Amino acid sequence: MVEKVKKLPRVFDYFVEKDQFAGGNTFCAGCTAELTLRTIPRVMGKDIVMVGTPCCAAPVLHGQNLGAWHKLAYYACVMTGVASSASGLSRYYRKSGIDTTIVCFTGDGDASDVGFQPLSGAAERNEHMVYICYDNEGYMNTGNQRSSSTPIYAATSTTPVGKNQKGKPTVAKYLPLIMALHPVSYVATATLSHMEDYAKKLLKAKEKSKHGFAYIHVFSPCVIGFRINSDAGIQVCRMAVRTNYFPLWEMEDGVFRFTHTVSDPRPVKEYLSICGKFSHLNEAEIAEVQKMVDERYSILKALVETTARKETENKL
Amino acid sequence: MVKQMRKHETRVITGNACAAYAVRLCRPDVVALYPITPQSEVVEQLTRFKADGLLDAEMIEVEGENSAMNSVTAACVAGGRVFTATASYGLAFMYDAMMQTAGFRAPVVMVNVNREIPGIHAVSAGQQDLISVRDIGWLQIIVEDDQEIIDTIIQAYRLAEDYEIQLPVMINYDGYYLSFSAEAVKIPLIEDVDEYLSILKKQPQRLKLVPGKSMGAGSHGLLQTYTELRYKHMAAMERAKAKFDAIDKEYGDFFGRYYGGQIEEYRTDGAEIILVTSGSATGTAKTVIDAARENGQKVGLVKIRMYRPFPRERLTKVLQGRKAIGVLDRSVGFGWNCGPMYQEVRALTPEIGKVPLLSFIDGLANMDITKPNIERMIRDIQAAAEGKPYQETTWVSLEE
Repeated sequence: MVEKVKKLPRVFDYFVEKDQFAGGNTFCAGCTAELTLRTIPRVMGKDIVMVGTPCCAAPVLHGQNLGAWHKLAYYACVMTGVASSASGLSRYYRKSGIDTTIVCFTGDGDASDVGFQPLSGAAERNEHMVYICYDNEGYMNTGNQRSSSTPIYAATSTTPVGKNQKGKPTVAKYLPLIMALHPVSYVATATLSHMEDYAKKLLKAKEKSKHGFAYIHVFSPCVIGFRINSDAGIQVCRMAVRTNYFPLWEMEDGVFRFTHTVSDPRPVKEYLSICGKFSHLNEAEIAEVQKMVDERYSILKALVETTARKETENKL
Repeated sequence: MVKQMRKHETRVITGNACAAYAVRLCRPDVVALYPITPQSEVVEQLTRFKADGLLDAEMIEVEGENSAMNSVTAACVAGGRVFTATASYGLAFMYDAMMQTAGFRAPVVMVNVNREIPGIHAVSAGQQDLISVRDIGWLQIIVEDDQEIIDTIIQAYRLAEDYEIQLPVMINYDGYYLSFSAEAVKIPLIEDVDEYLSILKKQPQRLKLVPGKSMGAGSHGLLQTYTELRYKHMAAMERAKAKFDAIDKEYGDFFGRYYGGQIEEYRTDGAEIILVTSGSATGTAKTVIDAARENGQKVGLVKIRMYRPFPRERLTKVLQGRKAIGVLDRSVGFGWNCGPMYQEVRALTPEIGKVPLLSFIDGLANMDITKPNIERMIRDIQAAAEGKPYQETTWVSLEE
C-alpha cells in the first residue's frame, strides 16, 4: 500500500528552525497573535533577541519567575521602552561584534499609542532592528479597551455601544503607512491568511535590519475582542484582505508595491458582518467604513504607482 | 607609606564638562543623549569627544529621556558599560524606566544635574528631583564641587559594576551652581583610570543577555520570587555602604583624593553642634564653620555624600553626643512640614538620643544659600543647644 504524503503548505519552505514555543501555552484558544509569534523564529532562526512588553504575548514571552514558554533570548521592558531598549541592545551587540537580529514584538496599543514615540525615534535613527506589531485593534490583554488602532464604530470596553454612543467615534491611525513615511528601508503589512507572504516579509525584514530599521504590521484579529468564534480567526484575516480592509503591501527602499492584489474586492460589509464588534452598524455607517477603506486603498495605489514610475525612471 | 602622586591634566572647566571628561575616562560602550537645561553641555561635550575620535562609544541620540534610560538599561543588561545624563523634568520622564533599571540590577551610571521639578515652572537649582526618586532602588550620591564630580563618576562605575553590588548609581550635582561654574580641576590620565577600574575585570562576570541562549530579562516575578528579589536588592544596597567607604579609601590611595565615603565629617572633633548639608552649599557652609571655629564656637559639619542607601550607621556615630543638630535641605518634605533629609536624620533619634533637631529649608529655585543664611542657621542651632526655645522648621529665605 502506498502511503499518500500530505503536501505541506508553501510557508513550510521558509521554515529553517523548529518551533521555539511550548504547546499548551497561555494564549487564548484560536489566538492569531500566537501564530504570528510562532512563525517568527521558524523563519528568522533562533539566534534572535526578542524584545517585548506587557501585552497578550507577555505571559508567554516574559515567562514567570524562572520559567518561560519558549527557548529564545528575550528582553521584557516597560511599555514605553520597546524600541528604545531594542536600540540599546542593537547598538551594544553591534559594537561588540555579536551578530544577531533584534526583533521587537508588541501589540498595536504599544506600537501606536504608549510606545509610539520610541518607535518613531528608533525608525528615524534607522536603528538596526525588526519591529513587528501584531494588530488586534485594541488593548486585548487588559480586556478589549480601545487603542488608536481600533477602527471607527468598533465596540470595545471603553467605546461601548449605548444610547449616546455607537462604538469608537474616530477613525484608526494607519500605523504601517506612518512608519513607511519614516526614513527606513522596509515596511510591510501581513496577515495570517497569507502565510507565505508573511514568511517572505519576515525574511526580507531580517535582511534589511542588518543595515537599518524594518517594520512589519501583522493584522492578527483577537477572537474575544472581535467577537468571533475561536476557529474563525484566519477567515477574518482572509476577508480583511479580500475587502481591501487590510491590503497587503510593502515599501522597500522608497518603492511601494502590493504583494497581493485583489482583482475583485468584496464590499467591506462582508468583512464587517462576520465580526461581532461591528454588529450594531447601520447601512450609513457601513457606507462610511467603505469610504474609509476606499480612500486608504487609493492612497496606497497612488504611492505604488508613483514610486514604481520613479523606480523605472531611475533604471532607465 | 606615601604613595607616588599620579599624573594628571589640570584644566579650568565647568561641572558639566567635568562630568563628560570623567565619563570619557571610563570608556562606556553605549551613551544615550538627550538635552535638558542645565545638563545639555554634558551631552554636547560627549558628542564632541566622539566626533574628535576621543570616545569610542555608541551614541544613541534618543527622542526623550524615557528612551535614554530604556536604551542604556538594555545595553547594560546585554553586558555594556553605559552612561546617560538628565535633570528634573527629564528624570521624571524616565521614572518607569528607572524603576526597571533598578529591578534588573543593571549597573547603569547616570548624572542628574539637580533642578527644581515641574508644578511651578522653574528653570533653576533645587534638589527636589533627587528626592522624588529616593525609594526606587537606585544608589544616589550627591557631590559638592567640580573635582568631586570627576572623581565620583569614576568611583560610581567601580561601585555600580562591583559583583557584590550590581546596582544603578545616580550622581547628583547642583544645576547652575556646579553645572555652569568653572573651576580648576585635576583630570586623571585615561591609563590610570583603566588601571583603577581593571579590578572589576578580576571579579566574576555578571549575567548577560546573550543572543541564541535560552534566557530572558524581565520575567514576571511572582509571590515568593518577587519577594526574594526585593530582599536581595535591599541587601545589595546595604552592602553598598561599606563598599563605598572602601572604594573611597582605595580611590584615595590610588589618585590622592579622599572624600570620606558615605559622609564627610568636617571639623566635627569636639563639636557640640552640627550642621548637616549636601551638595554645593557645603562649600559655603565650610567657610562659615571655619570662621565660627576661629571664634571659638564648637561647631562642625557633616556632608551627606551617599543619600541612598542612607548612611544610618555613619551618621549615628558622628551625631551621637552632640547638643543640637541642624539639617539643611534644598527641597521640601510634603506631609512632614520639614526638609526630607531632616526627616531622615530625625528618624535616627532612637540611636542618637533626644536633642534639639532643626530643619532649614533654603536654596529653592536658585535662591542663594548665602554665608549670612548659614550663619543664621548656626545661631539657631547654638541657641537650641543652650536650651532656648526653637522652631523646628525654618524657611530661611522667607524669614526676616
